[in-house]
Amino acid sequence: MEDLLKPDFGVLALTVCNFLLLVYLLKKFAWGPIIGALEKRENQIATDKQTAAQARQSAENLKKELDDRLAQISNEATQKMAQAVKAGEAQKEQLLKQAQEQATRLLEQAKAQIEAEKNKALADVRSEVATLSVLAASRVMEREVKDGAADQIVDQVLKEIKGK
Amino acid sequence: MDVAETISHHILDHDWGVVLGGFRIPITTHSVTIFCVSVLLLLTLAWAARAHKSHAGKLISVLMEEYVSFIRGGIVLPNMGEEGRGMLPYFCTLFLFILCVNLAGMIPEMKTATSNISVTAALALCSGALIIGSGLKFHGLVGFLKGFVPSGTPGWLVPLIFPLEVISLVIKVCVLAIRLFANMLSGHMVLICLLLIIFIIGEMSKFFGVVSMFPAMLLEIFMTCLELLVAFLQAYVFTLLTAIFAGSVIHTH
Repeated sequence: MEDLLKPDFGVLALTVCNFLLLVYLLKKFAWGPIIGALEKRENQIATDKQTAAQARQSAENLKKELDDRLAQISNEATQKMAQAVKAGEAQKEQLLKQAQEQATRLLEQAKAQIEAEKNKALADVRSEVATLSVLAASRVMEREVKDGAADQIVDQVLKEIKGK
Repeated sequence: MDVAETISHHILDHDWGVVLGGFRIPITTHSVTIFCVSVLLLLTLAWAARAHKSHAGKLISVLMEEYVSFIRGGIVLPNMGEEGRGMLPYFCTLFLFILCVNLAGMIPEMKTATSNISVTAALALCSGALIIGSGLKFHGLVGFLKGFVPSGTPGWLVPLIFPLEVISLVIKVCVLAIRLFANMLSGHMVLICLLLIIFIIGEMSKFFGVVSMFPAMLLEIFMTCLELLVAFLQAYVFTLLTAIFAGSVIHTH
């Protein structure tokens, strides 16, 4: 059993040579190509990830730009709408004012017309009264009535005038 | 032949007695096993590295890439940092070589070469050379020697600490060899002992010998499964400890 712990230097040296040669050959024919392919793929993945991140960043920037532009357009639309409302209000005020002025003018015209009509009517009345007075006077003259009859005629004429 | 001799016969290395020009050529069962495992590994892996076209080739290529990723991400880089990237082929070979040599012992008529102290010592020597080589490569001779003295050590303690640290490194390398050797040897000794129980009891009473066969075989199966686990575990431990020791030399106190 003590042989178990007795080192065999020949086997030791052979194992060292065998193992080191195996490391060299595997590095050249196996691990080299495998590690190379692995690292190439990892680099490819890293590059793809970087490209994707850049594309995402540019898409986010574009989205932000479009959002800003949309907000600007919305703001402009709001401002224009406010301006339109204001202009409409001003126009409405102007129209109202014009209508009021026109109404006032029409009223004045109507009043003037009424006054004129009134004056004309009064003139007609005066003319009629004068005519009737002349008529009454002529009748008085025609009949040669007494003092009492003349008063009656005058009263009658006046009643007629009131009746008209 | 007593029990001890039987066990020794099954475990010990057998020299084939090849002599060339008066010099002994160490052609033994263990060295032949190692050679066969090496050739098998070389042919298989070289084929796997190039055979990408067939389905089997793709499968093996993916497996090998996963294996390399495991050794790199699980053993080398965490313990040695980026400096260990160049030594990745050594660690990939070390793990697979120890594993295959360990498992070779599970095949009938083949031997577990790692139950030979000379074989494990050879592997430990290679790892020791890698550890010292890493220290020299990254720190130079003076820097490497300075690394044996922890920073902040009082000057009068240096003559005491320095030899202790050097001995510590040597012991670490020796322990690598002894751990692998002892674990693989003990597993096979237990397997043989369990088989021998049947014959020892059978010599006393044939009936009890037959009866003892069933529990002994159950234990044998259990121990074989355990041996499979130990084969993987010891390959991993040897590789991991080599990386840790090399990392401790590269990244000193």
